[in-house]
Amino acid sequence: MMLGKVIGEVWATKKHERLSGAKMLLVAGLEQSDGRLLPTGEVVVARDRMGADTGHLVVVTWGSGARKVFGLENDSSILCEAAICRIVDGYTDLEQLFDTQGGV
Amino acid sequence: MFLARVVGTVWSTVKWEGLEGMKFLVVRPYHLADLSSDPDAPPTGAGDGVVVADILGAGVGEDVIVAYGHAGRMAVEPELAPNAKPTRPIDAAVVAIVDKYSVNVNRKNK
Repeated sequence: MMLGKVIGEVWATKKHERLSGAKMLLVAGLEQSDGRLLPTGEVVVARDRMGADTGHLVVVTWGSGARKVFGLENDSSILCEAAICRIVDGYTDLEQLFDTQGGV
Repeated sequence: MFLARVVGTVWSTVKWEGLEGMKFLVVRPYHLADLSSDPDAPPTGAGDGVVVADILGAGVGEDVIVAYGHAGRMAVEPELAPNAKPTRPIDAAVVAIVDKYSVNVNRKNK
């Protein structure tokens, strides 16, 4: 899974029919450095049914995990490779956490 | 999935027989630096083209959404019954041709 920030939305009318019915959001990947979250440069398109909006911190899940956000556990016909599975309220400063535990 | 610009096409005569008639494109993924003027955005990597299958008819210069893995294989076999396994050796495919996108990297939303 990937931590990211929603930076925008994509619209497409010509698309695979199994892709209909959910917003597609642009999510910029983030990594932690010196206690700050900085962009990795990577941008992904994730489907959303959690109601995420531009500016939200979100967690993106991939593959069959993403399809489970969208439907029946065994329905492999859902076309979904990346989905937002949670909207983040807060996060731990990972470096501080690792420092107090003696580093990694 | 990722947003990408179609930059070229690929064709071949010797290929796996199930790929007859399928179009292949070269796309270049958008990075954060391409979409914004954010000074924190790392510079765009060069030379990271991806070859993707396409049955939607995307052309050079268009923006598309590409899916990897199972979703990509499903996209090139739309006639497949639910829960049937895709058969073609494909790893990435165009799933949508983009009309427009909006980007605002500075907006806060808590």
